[in-house]
Amino acid sequence: MLKLEKMKKPLKVLLIEDNMIEIMKMNRTVSLLKAKHEITEAKNAEEALAILETKTNLPDIILLDLNMPKINGIEFLAILKNDPDLRHIPTIILTTSDNRKDILECYRIGISGYILKPLKYEEYVSKIEIALSYWSINELKSA
Amino acid sequence: MSQEQIEILQRALKREKAARKAAEKILEDKSRELYALSEELKISNEKLAASVTEKSSQLEGVFKNINDAYVVMDIKGNVLKMNSVATNFFGYDISKEKLNIVKLIYQADATYAFESFNTLLNTGSFSNYTARIITKKKEIKWVQINATIIYDEQHKPIAAQGIARDITELKNLEKQKEKILKELEKSNGELYEYAHIVSHDLKTPLRSIDALVSWIKMDNEGSLDATTLQNLKLIEETLETMENLISNILEYSSAGSGTSESQDVNLNETMLNIQKLLFIPEHISIQILKELPVTKGDPTKFQQLFQNLMSNAIKFSNKEKGIVVIDYVEKPSFYQFSVKDNGIGIEKKFHDRIFKIFHSLNKSKESTGIGLSIVKKIVDLYEGTIWLESELGKGTTFFFTIKK
Repeated sequence: MLKLEKMKKPLKVLLIEDNMIEIMKMNRTVSLLKAKHEITEAKNAEEALAILETKTNLPDIILLDLNMPKINGIEFLAILKNDPDLRHIPTIILTTSDNRKDILECYRIGISGYILKPLKYEEYVSKIEIALSYWSINELKSA
Repeated sequence: MSQEQIEILQRALKREKAARKAAEKILEDKSRELYALSEELKISNEKLAASVTEKSSQLEGVFKNINDAYVVMDIKGNVLKMNSVATNFFGYDISKEKLNIVKLIYQADATYAFESFNTLLNTGSFSNYTARIITKKKEIKWVQINATIIYDEQHKPIAAQGIARDITELKNLEKQKEKILKELEKSNGELYEYAHIVSHDLKTPLRSIDALVSWIKMDNEGSLDATTLQNLKLIEETLETMENLISNILEYSSAGSGTSESQDVNLNETMLNIQKLLFIPEHISIQILKELPVTKGDPTKFQQLFQNLMSNAIKFSNKEKGIVVIDYVEKPSFYQFSVKDNGIGIEKKFHDRIFKIFHSLNKSKESTGIGLSIVKKIVDLYEGTIWLESELGKGTTFFFTIKK
């Protein structure tokens, strides 16, 4: 396990989430982890697109909430997966909605994971920890 | 003339007379017979005439009284005769104007109309020809026509007769029904989406509160007194109750909607899924008495149905060895399933009430009082009924039927 910890590389994570406390949850969770992941926050899809459009310093992975005002998560996902420069970025859905239709549609467009936000904060911490650990042992395009 | 000759002649004359008498007698008999025969003939002729009159007036009656339009036309489609229903319906009075049937054909249905007319000429009849016609007032009507050819003695077609039924109203109703069904499907879909969004919006604050409570505990570790810790724990439990309520209401609201087209559901697979999903304590055994059938429907709904009943059976088990028995019997038009437990049992006076929403008999974190109303809703959806037999302290058996 110790060896594995060393293998983990810090990730550049783009968190697209409009709820303030959800952002606090993520930041607090990441601060508990050994790997020093770098979280960039976007409060909505427009903000996220503005960050991604620069095409410089692209994130390693994207964590995406589905229920957002104006451009919703699925619409954002479609825009992302249609852009040849951005479509490679692994995108993981982070939502409370287990709507089967949404799940199928997300996988159809192309996602790298669909994580349900649990009620319990401890469960949330372990889910995020597992997801980030997994991606930090992966070879990524930007590295 | 000699005496002898005279005698011969006299004898001959006598024979002749006798013969003539006999002949007259025969003639008389014959003519009497003939007379009787002719009388008979006359009577039967009268009878026949009466019956022809009767038949034609019967026909006339049928012709006049049927509620459908009756039309007789020649082979070229010129209308020869119409009953009053036809006159009113088509709007043409053939005593005043000529009418060819072609005039009634609605343009879009013309090909079908000519094809059907050919069928009529070739085979002698057609039935349930359904198409639109256009009346004199330029109204478009839906009709259903049955027609036959009338032949002469040489079996040459001379005319055609048809009965046309106005099914415009029926067609309109059909169309309306389709439209309503489509709308219903759409609003059901919208409602389903809406329920998901609402449940997301309600669940998000619960997650926030749980996180905030966790942080308060973590950030003040060691400095909170027992009462505060106890209260924080109560907040967390309340959040769980709320979470379950929201999940169950979402489940309930989507349980009754007649969803996606039905598919084969192998209930044995459903059972395997449930046993993977449900937490089944060591002391409880699930027994499926025989291989379950394959039904038609939505697999998710069947899973919800059995899962709710089985989780209730597990939840309310109070025996050292809990048993949950699943069985079914096949009836001609439906399956009757049973889920039997040896748990706490349900008092008779509550039997009706338990299927109503929010009528949990045992208020607890897991019992929101929605589970059995979901079960009821799904059983209703599959046109079944649900009931139970129970003895307090001994156990409960839920029975429900599912239409084949």
